[in-house]
Amino acid sequence: MKDQKELAMELEDEIFNDGLPKAYYKHNENGQYVLETNAPWAEKVSCALIIAGNRANLEEIRKAVLAGQKSPLCYHMELRQLDPGMLAKAAGMAVFRVKRHLRPDVFTKLKPSVLNRYTKALRVTLEELKTVPNS
Amino acid sequence: MTTELAANGKPYVHHHGAHCETAVTSALFRYQGVDISEPMIFGIGSGIFFGYLPFIKLVHLPVTAFRYKPGAVFHKAAKRLGGDFVIKTYRDPQKGMDELRQVLKTGQIVGLSTNLYWLPYVTERHRHNFNGHNIIVLREIEGGFRISDPTFGDPVDCSADGLDQARFVPGPLNPHGYMYYTKSVNPHPDLRGACIKGMKDSCSLMLRIPLPIFGVRGMRFLAKKIIKSPDKLGFQEACRHLAGTVRWVEETGTGGAGFRYMYAAFFHEAAGLFSSDELADLSKEMTAIGDNWREFSLTAARIIKQKDKAEETFAKAGGLILKCADREEAFFRKLQKVARQLKA
Repeated sequence: MKDQKELAMELEDEIFNDGLPKAYYKHNENGQYVLETNAPWAEKVSCALIIAGNRANLEEIRKAVLAGQKSPLCYHMELRQLDPGMLAKAAGMAVFRVKRHLRPDVFTKLKPSVLNRYTKALRVTLEELKTVPNS
Repeated sequence: MTTELAANGKPYVHHHGAHCETAVTSALFRYQGVDISEPMIFGIGSGIFFGYLPFIKLVHLPVTAFRYKPGAVFHKAAKRLGGDFVIKTYRDPQKGMDELRQVLKTGQIVGLSTNLYWLPYVTERHRHNFNGHNIIVLREIEGGFRISDPTFGDPVDCSADGLDQARFVPGPLNPHGYMYYTKSVNPHPDLRGACIKGMKDSCSLMLRIPLPIFGVRGMRFLAKKIIKSPDKLGFQEACRHLAGTVRWVEETGTGGAGFRYMYAAFFHEAAGLFSSDELADLSKEMTAIGDNWREFSLTAARIIKQKDKAEETFAKAGGLILKCADREEAFFRKLQKVARQLKA
């Protein structure tokens, strides 16, 4: 239990010490509204939770792709924070086709012309689209 | 606060701001010699709002908006303050970048809408796939542009490729290279009239939209959803949704407590402008509402961290939002009356 808590603390520190602090309005004792850059604790907690969730999700998909359960397209879609509907619009395709291409057996048989649409929509090279990073 | 030079050598002062759009608008006005602060722009442009949009999902979480739709604050504020802006969108990225360079050469500073995900200098925590992030381009430098992003403390450098990518993104979240710069600005704007217009508009936005997802009705809708969420979604997923809401309240450039503190700052300034005690009271009330929202996010964070399991429940978090909704309804009803009596 303690390890998990420590990990969460480390993640909070990591993502909030990025050198790009945001500003927050604060009501000080003199009745003035001033800007300060300390992020509220609640924000740190929720941000850490969401980012940890997103990272875990991406990692899970990467492993599923390596195990042959999902197509690499699924990984790149998730990396770009898209869903099948948005990706379909970006690539100029029907949603059901995009969803079909998330299956690895269908994806391996795709023609280069279809793959090129995805490379343009996701801004990856053809090589990258067919693979996922190893670690 | 840092001073930079624009293309024609005119000094530009970079102010750290809470929200991208209001800060960019106020910077554009300041550059033309009209000294107007960020909260003022926010109030005049009727930025305050609430909308819960469960059918729009970003990274699997529903959108909770605390401000009016992107772009509207700039339009309204510009119109009410008598600023004339050139606004352009492009289909062809090449043409968009060429025109940006040409305008910069004439000594203008240019506001741009970009997709936050693709801006090269942002870090992981700011990376949303959101197409309405506003920045100011100051001048062209070797291999890129000098950019003042008011949500961050200092001006940054951005490569030309990176800016091109952020301005033209394939798909539904394409900003289409949206770009704006000043044509002319009224040097002595009618601040009082503009403030009254902004207040009245905000009241009708918060109270009179007959849909259950906007305004104070939307807050009650969200509160009910949060109270039911652990039964419907399971504890883990409900926590994620709650964290998503807190992120909208505190993080997405709101200046804390879902823009409520910024709005209170607007009333503080307006009270000085009209020398009205009623507005000063409203400012205090808005700060209290902001504290209420902050309390909600603290409760949410305690639920996520599983501290005081018996006390900190989803029902308490939902109840706090209901309280916010009641207080805001009373606030805007009072504001309606006060704004009617103000004289421009």
